[in-house]
Amino acid sequence: MSRQDGRRAVVVTGARTPFVKAFGDFTTMDTIALGVAASRGAMAKAGLGVRDIDSVVWGGVILPGGSPNVGREIALDLGLDPRAEAMTVTRACASGLQAITLAAAAIERGEADVVLCGGSDSTSNAEIKLPQKVVHALAPLALGKPTRSDYLAVLSQLWPITDLLPRQPKIAERSTGEVMGEAAERMARRNEVGRAEQDAFALRSHQRAAAAIAGGVFDDEVVEVTTPEGKTVRADGLVRGDTSLEKLGKLRAAFAKDGTLTAGNSSALTDGGAAVVLMSEAKARSLGLKPKAALRSWAYVGVDPADQLLMGPALAMPLALERAGLSLGDIDLVDLHEAFAAQVLSILKMLASDAFAKARLGRESAVGAVLDERLNVYGGSLALGHPFGATGARMVTTMANELARTGKKTALLGICAAGGLGAAAVLERVE
Amino acid sequence: MSDLLVELGRNAAARRLVSALGLPLPLPVALRRGRGPLPSQPLADQSVVVGAGAEAPLLAMLASALTGAGADPLLEGCSPAAFLGPGEAHGRPARAASTLPEARRVDALVFDASGLSGSDALGALHGFFQPWVGRVARSGRVLVLGRPSDEPGLSGEAAAAQSALDGFVKSLAKELGRHGVTANLLRVESGAEERAGAVVRWLLTNRSAFVSGQPVRVSLGAEGEPAPLVVKPLEKRVALVTGAAQGIGAATARALAAEGARVLCVDRPQEEAAASALAKELGGAVALADLSDPASVALVASAAEALGGVDVVVHNAGVTRDRTMARMKREHWDAVLAVNLRAVLALDEALDPQLRDGGRVVCLSSIAGISGNVGQTAYAASKSALIGWVRARARVLGARGVTVNAVAPGFIETRMTAAVPVAIREAGRRLSALGQGGLPEDVAQAIAFLASPGAQGVTGQTLRVCGGAFLGA
Repeated sequence: MSRQDGRRAVVVTGARTPFVKAFGDFTTMDTIALGVAASRGAMAKAGLGVRDIDSVVWGGVILPGGSPNVGREIALDLGLDPRAEAMTVTRACASGLQAITLAAAAIERGEADVVLCGGSDSTSNAEIKLPQKVVHALAPLALGKPTRSDYLAVLSQLWPITDLLPRQPKIAERSTGEVMGEAAERMARRNEVGRAEQDAFALRSHQRAAAAIAGGVFDDEVVEVTTPEGKTVRADGLVRGDTSLEKLGKLRAAFAKDGTLTAGNSSALTDGGAAVVLMSEAKARSLGLKPKAALRSWAYVGVDPADQLLMGPALAMPLALERAGLSLGDIDLVDLHEAFAAQVLSILKMLASDAFAKARLGRESAVGAVLDERLNVYGGSLALGHPFGATGARMVTTMANELARTGKKTALLGICAAGGLGAAAVLERVE
Repeated sequence: MSDLLVELGRNAAARRLVSALGLPLPLPVALRRGRGPLPSQPLADQSVVVGAGAEAPLLAMLASALTGAGADPLLEGCSPAAFLGPGEAHGRPARAASTLPEARRVDALVFDASGLSGSDALGALHGFFQPWVGRVARSGRVLVLGRPSDEPGLSGEAAAAQSALDGFVKSLAKELGRHGVTANLLRVESGAEERAGAVVRWLLTNRSAFVSGQPVRVSLGAEGEPAPLVVKPLEKRVALVTGAAQGIGAATARALAAEGARVLCVDRPQEEAAASALAKELGGAVALADLSDPASVALVASAAEALGGVDVVVHNAGVTRDRTMARMKREHWDAVLAVNLRAVLALDEALDPQLRDGGRVVCLSSIAGISGNVGQTAYAASKSALIGWVRARARVLGARGVTVNAVAPGFIETRMTAAVPVAIREAGRRLSALGQGGLPEDVAQAIAFLASPGAQGVTGQTLRVCGGAFLGA
């Protein structure tokens, strides 16, 4: 249960950049620039100035090698008071939510009253790394004063030449070597989720996102961004409201020869940032700001990556519910990160299964079936895209806005993450 | 000690050549073995064909054991009902075996024969195995489940059918051994079903590579609730291994340490360097004691006490003084019995206060103790004595949840067997279903399993790790 003594952490506002396909309009904007754009939007909506922020907690997955503390760079680029401290966290695709729950914990503990939190990622600016062999071979040249024989020794070590070629960056599990799509492909097979179901779910995501955009639902959260090239980007770039089962059905399997996952039912590589302003409830009230939602509970879990890599939310969501003292039936909105349609549908099956509840949760009966009208009401990452670190903050923003707008009481969030991690949180409306 | 035929057998071209020339050279298959701690999903993605007789009381146990271990069940002529829940819980839905593409091999065949009664019912064995035996992959597994034929309440017909499983499995082990495939029989007492899952799991992993043609009984002999299957179950537990410096002892110390145990390595003072190096490698402790000396037992017990007690005791130290009876002097006889038997009995007594409830005792017997060997009257006597010792000891310690078992290695590639004349060595290797010698690690893996919490249902028994040796069957 969240606290009631004025130190309860509340969402005051949130904002995000449009989400744009990698190597599109945001190609020259790195994760720091995207974070700055989102943060500037969130601060403006709350009417906050550069001296109002106590702390920045930022989430990211592809961190720039030269400046991995993205949060601090964002604070400096925003021109925040230099005393505003900042950190950067990474928990794969749950990084954005992690930043928000860390901020909530800091507020509830009394470390800060106003925290700018969220996350961003620029897949367009993933660094191409030199093979470790080259790095090690070149070390004598980089450190100290190399002699001629050092150069010769380096040359001899760098053979054969094919070892020197930079590798295409890919997001493979370090422990299993499996890329995310292969893991989701296995989940589809193991949970008997077919191609047609996946395509139908992807279609639903696009249609709901397109309807939300047309209805102005995201107007409250998406801020326009002007790129270094002078182009102003106003809208999400990946949503295809006009897609169809026929179009999705024509796409080729992406991760296995006879597979069921395609570019259409998997989330795309995306550039974007999302920011949330979190405050202690007392502080928000004193500033005359109406909180949109409070963080009632959260939970993080780990599973064996060799089992079902992306099943984490099926374990984390029940745990967050338990910590909130709620059951699934009490929840008005469920927002489940859509890494892959196969992963979403697998998790829904697990939540609805008595056998799963008994074997994996130690519960007598299933967590429950998630009602379609409550699930991902405005689509999800399949349609909007998935700039890894930003997704958690996007979900918190959309759900907080929805609670404030509709008068609904509770929202449950679930996110799967690399390494076999799962994340969940319960948001509640603040009266 | 490398085995030329196994090495040759690794080479596909050599295999083809031998077969094309029609040479009567059985190239044994290089066995698939596992190292390190048993993973949480030791059967991940393995395809296991499951069949059953008309009555199949063990199917529910099988369903959760297989899916929980990560196996993909393929059902052949048995009801899917038992598999629905576990399949859903673990994302391992059972499919009909007929859906498997023709050319695909399978990793294991498992048949629940525990409900078979009478000679007609045995036809189900033929019905299941005949079409499938040819499709088991190299180093695959065959496992038959039954009831003990001496179980009270079993009709004569049922006892006959259950007894038939022995001959069936042992023959199948001999037939399939040349492909590196093992076949074993698990006899589950009524009421002990819940304890069988961990045994099924282990017998299907690559850790039981050299166990073939063996019956294993799951009983309620030792008190205790079934422990949840976890990775590194021996963490925070202490294991004592005698004769730990070399060979099977060292491999056992390593295997127990890999499963998380703190190992107390016991060996003679002459072995100090090796024993200390091993203890250092494993983060364990050393106790130097010559077990032929009765006074050494107290020393070992106090070393165990210094570690706060023990959970696992492995009696591995042993000596040979091989001579025919006609030429054996009394001192040779006494030397063998002193270490191989007297020290075991005395040590078990001395360690009794140190052995925690739920503990494990494993004695190293030998197939010589089962089949006998020329020149090994003393050795074989000491080793068969241990078979009786563990049976009796299991009854005494069962109430404390302690299991007591023996492991009987067959031909294992060690310093000891490397010294055997080449002709006898070759015979030792080839006269087994798998056509090769085992490794010390194979014995160590069996001991590590018997030492694990999952082996609660196995007590008072002697498990042969012999590759299906033709001797003493």
